[in-house]
Amino acid sequence: MWRRLLIAWCIGWLGFSAIFLPIAPAQAANCTLTAIVWEGYTDPSFTKEFEAQTGCAVKATYAGSSDEMFAKFRAGGGRTYDVISASGDITERLYKAGLVRAIDTDQLKNYSSVFESFQGGKWNTFDGKPYGVTFAWGPNVLVYDTKVIKTAPTSWDVLSDPAYAGKISLPDNPMTIADVALWLGKPEPYDLSEADLAEVKQKLLELRPNIRKFWTTAGELANLFQSGEVVMAHAWPLTYTQLSEAGFPIGSASPQGKLTGWTDSWMISKKSPHPEAAYAWIDFILSGAGQKGVMDVTGYSGATTLGAEAIGQERAHELFMDDLSLHSQIKMWQSVKNYDQWVQLWNEIRT
Amino acid sequence: MASTFSQPQPRQPLPIGLYSSLLPPLLWMTLLYFVPIALLISYSVWRLEAFDIVKEFSLVNFKTILTNVAYRTVIGRTVLTALGVTAIDILITLPIGYFIGRYGGRYRTLLTLLIILPLWSSYLVRVFAWKIILGYNGVLNSALMAIGLFKQPSQIFLYNQFSTMLTFVHVWLPFMILPVITAFERLPPELLEASADLNANPWTTFRRIILPLVMPGVLAGSINVFSLTMGDFITPSLVGSPTGIMLGNVISSQFGVAYNWPLGATFALVVMLIVFLGLAIGLRQGALDS
Repeated sequence: MWRRLLIAWCIGWLGFSAIFLPIAPAQAANCTLTAIVWEGYTDPSFTKEFEAQTGCAVKATYAGSSDEMFAKFRAGGGRTYDVISASGDITERLYKAGLVRAIDTDQLKNYSSVFESFQGGKWNTFDGKPYGVTFAWGPNVLVYDTKVIKTAPTSWDVLSDPAYAGKISLPDNPMTIADVALWLGKPEPYDLSEADLAEVKQKLLELRPNIRKFWTTAGELANLFQSGEVVMAHAWPLTYTQLSEAGFPIGSASPQGKLTGWTDSWMISKKSPHPEAAYAWIDFILSGAGQKGVMDVTGYSGATTLGAEAIGQERAHELFMDDLSLHSQIKMWQSVKNYDQWVQLWNEIRT
Repeated sequence: MASTFSQPQPRQPLPIGLYSSLLPPLLWMTLLYFVPIALLISYSVWRLEAFDIVKEFSLVNFKTILTNVAYRTVIGRTVLTALGVTAIDILITLPIGYFIGRYGGRYRTLLTLLIILPLWSSYLVRVFAWKIILGYNGVLNSALMAIGLFKQPSQIFLYNQFSTMLTFVHVWLPFMILPVITAFERLPPELLEASADLNANPWTTFRRIILPLVMPGVLAGSINVFSLTMGDFITPSLVGSPTGIMLGNVISSQFGVAYNWPLGATFALVVMLIVFLGLAIGLRQGALDS
């Protein structure tokens, strides 16, 4: 009796201890760089090269929205991730929350190749010091199935065209409200009053019957196109790149003056356990190979002269990296003050 | 069971072993169950202000949920969906359970195994299977076009309330069938014969003999299906309507994109309350009597 109880007791404790096991995994690599990023920023096609060069393994988590990124980065006191690919709408929030450290640009030998107007960009420079390194930017675009839509659309109004009812997709992200505000001609799409929001809601309700599905990841959207569920979507250029690489007849349009977009910066956690690895990673992404890798995978525009050289003049012109004329036209993502109202509006649209 | 307990047991003067063997499960429950629930409840009375969680008591989240029409619609839709799925599963299960319990004979184990079999594949795989079947270029549309019923693929099968219900009914079916089969197996065939001998027609036998005796199994299955549907967010986000989100989706968006953990926690509490209410009703009716 006693023996049996003892055995049961031991087994019980053994089972209990199992939950603590995964916390200490075997560390084979010299170091591990943990990152929270947008889809595509740590694609194996170029990350492998970094891992071979430095012996550091890259462990990345994809986030679906800026807020999710911020929340996950902050959880665990900022020790969970070394670097974050922060868009302009959360850079200041990260700085104010004291989660990121000032960048010592001397440790980045490729820093001088960052476009001059991006060095000291107001989206990642605070208190006169750089807290982030700009490495990619781009617009949100209109992608469409060229088999169905023969002529390139020139306006977002095509989304409400009854001919494509039930055939379009929008991102499942409250930031889409800014796009709708822009379509409605609001000059400041990130600063919307309640009346503006009501107008946006009206527009979204009109648009709703046309929507087949709200997409949450680029992978899901590509799948929606390939299975014939949708023919048009408001999307990241990533979808265009993914689908054209898969041989799908996909087109991309950027209606003039009605574009939202983002400028992404690498930021390093104040409590990063591997700051050297973080600097090495940023330096790699600024280099020709890293920039080319990011641009090839995502279709976004790069931010360094080394990157422009690596992809060639023609492609650099396509991505507006020679004169940055597109960058100033895009309404870049910013913090939204009444964001909880935006989320609520978004949930109302979804019910 | 009763016979084991009635045997005289040697008295343990100090059952330390017994108590210490209770310690691991108790710790387990505390760490993985009571602490998270306590956290959930405390989050639900905090609030979000300017992207920061203010740790002061407030009922603002409860007020938001109660006053917002959209959120009330979601709660209503989720409860109705869960009830509908449960009802359909009961209707499907009763004949199957009756057949296997009555006529299964030596194939009973095999038939039961076949019902559990889908549970060996991932839940996601089963949901995706429905996407492939119901999609625009899916199996169903291709078949309907092949036999000439449709000229071109139809969009009516996928991304609506119908596909959500269908998927739920399918993926949760085993959780209903298993307790119902057990209940039917315990049904003494003599009672049915006696009922027939006394000139009761099949409907009367079903209503007055079978149904009351298998009710505990049906209720146990209903609790499974109802609570599984209440908390699910994968199915509605994969095959559901763009305008048909459920409570699970709202919770996942509050914890994810919206970063409003307090409101998300309050919603989670609402789900728990509804499930507990269902459980209480089930228990009152004798769900665990079997």
